[in-house]
Amino acid sequence: MYAVRTLRSQPVRLILTIGGIALCVVLMLFLLAVYRGVADGSVDYIRQNQVDLWVLQKNATNILRGSSLLSMDQIAAIARAPGVRTAAPVLFLLSTIRKGDKVGTIFLTGFEPEKGLGGPPRLVWGRVPHADDEIVLDRSFARKFDFQGGEEVDLQERRLKIVGISSGTNAFVIQYAFVTLRFARDLIGVPGLATCVLVNAEPGSGIGPIREEIRDVLEGLEAYDQETFLANNVREMRSGFLPLLYTVAVIGAIVLTAILSLLLSVNILERRKDFAILKTLGSPLAFLWGMVIKQALLIASVSCATALFLFFPLVQVIERISPEVDAVSTGGQIGGVVAAVLLMGLASSCVAIRRLRRIYYLEAFA
Amino acid sequence: MNGLDAPGPVARLEKVTKIFDGSGHPTAAVRDVSLEAGRGEMVLLLGPSGSGKTTLLTLIAGLTKPTSGCISLFGKNVEEYTAAGLQSLRADRIGFVFQTFLLIDSLTAAENVEIVLRFNGRRRAERAERTRTLLGELGIGHLARRFPRAMSQGEKQRVAIARAIANDAELLIADEPTGSLETRQAVDIIALLHALSKVRNAAVIVASHDLRLREFADRTLRLQDGMMVSGCS
Repeated sequence: MYAVRTLRSQPVRLILTIGGIALCVVLMLFLLAVYRGVADGSVDYIRQNQVDLWVLQKNATNILRGSSLLSMDQIAAIARAPGVRTAAPVLFLLSTIRKGDKVGTIFLTGFEPEKGLGGPPRLVWGRVPHADDEIVLDRSFARKFDFQGGEEVDLQERRLKIVGISSGTNAFVIQYAFVTLRFARDLIGVPGLATCVLVNAEPGSGIGPIREEIRDVLEGLEAYDQETFLANNVREMRSGFLPLLYTVAVIGAIVLTAILSLLLSVNILERRKDFAILKTLGSPLAFLWGMVIKQALLIASVSCATALFLFFPLVQVIERISPEVDAVSTGGQIGGVVAAVLLMGLASSCVAIRRLRRIYYLEAFA
Repeated sequence: MNGLDAPGPVARLEKVTKIFDGSGHPTAAVRDVSLEAGRGEMVLLLGPSGSGKTTLLTLIAGLTKPTSGCISLFGKNVEEYTAAGLQSLRADRIGFVFQTFLLIDSLTAAENVEIVLRFNGRRRAERAERTRTLLGELGIGHLARRFPRAMSQGEKQRVAIARAIANDAELLIADEPTGSLETRQAVDIIALLHALSKVRNAAVIVASHDLRLREFADRTLRLQDGMMVSGCS
């Protein structure tokens, strides 16, 4: 009762504190949601393309930040390797799409639709491109530039019709777009090139022999199984994105803890006579600690509830303003943030509790 | 041994001196004071402002340590109590009444009384019942849900007394309990403290400069400049 009453006695301060903490929580939730969205979007292409092997140039361990070029002969040799059922070359290019005065950079992915590999992981509208003047755009990209299905866009002086809109193809800093391999090769003017080859083995034949064959015969190439290649890309994505995320999240957590510590400490200082009276009357220190901890947890809980109330509408607004922001929230994430905030609340109360020791009995008699 | 069964005085001071060493200028707030307070007895410490009454009370309650001399509470030297032991002594067996009441203004009258009952781990229902009974006994049952700011000075002091005796205090320490009250209220309060000492068989030590209180005290001890100058029954 005392814990709650003293907080309520300064309503403006309490509201400001809860507001400040709630914004920190929203920041943390948002960063996690963006991270989750980016993590999914960056590697969904790889995850959804269920193949046995990804063949690239050596040292290009991933497609996010690696450079790999395979020649026509190498691609043909991979296709001929014993045990290979399908070998689907894919060419990745950075390019720009233009519509009027809008220009957007895309991660253009040229693939062979008839082989069923290397295309968009999911389509939210339309179909995959069959002809060389067709393109599938990422949903966030299309939303950002207001491209509609069926419209025509310009790509390096060529006109393409949007035949599909994909999801799981937003890597935050860039979005995938899908065209035929023939069109992509034509863009760079070098026939037969590919960035990588997606390989499926014949049923019953293991991937080990195929990998050995590729390593032995095709010097300079490396074949990664699906699991390894996915892990490589996830690691690459995390190394580029996580440090930034952690830095901002840690700053948010520090600010949150500081705000709460400050409020609790000010409360104790303002009410030091009350605490001195309670000490004089025989209150155990644990009872006083309990009141401060209760205040901290109460504020943290109310702040979390406020943050959750604000978070989802806020994400919708941000996604409308910046469609490339693909925030994905899960119950686990939210639960984790709430648990972390409660822990920070406890940490804040520990900081404030230290002040209780410096309140003396005689202050009650002053 | 339970305090109720302990023989001898509830509080006993022998040649107690307390020197404060502020800024390198030692000041003796209390010098060579000896006194006893037994069960059912109301002892009045009479003296002007600055005579060391409050310091003496804090010494008796174990809130400060004497520079020299010996203080016994419930038959045991206070030096032998641990900090936790002194804390539970205050929670379970000592009650305090202050000049300015020192009620917690964000709590109602009932909550002000009830909070001290939480120190010794009483159950919620027991706390509520005890609080209701006490406020009723002191004639302020109707104020249970009222906050201190909405009470008269006399009502506040009654709530403070209810808080002081909530733990069935065997030793009641009152620092200028009538200092903020009008004459009629002051007489009521001191009569109440006197009655409590008899009805509850508690030792009541009252520090005051109010000469009107003498007629209610079983013993009056005069303090001046930290020294006991006279004692009379």
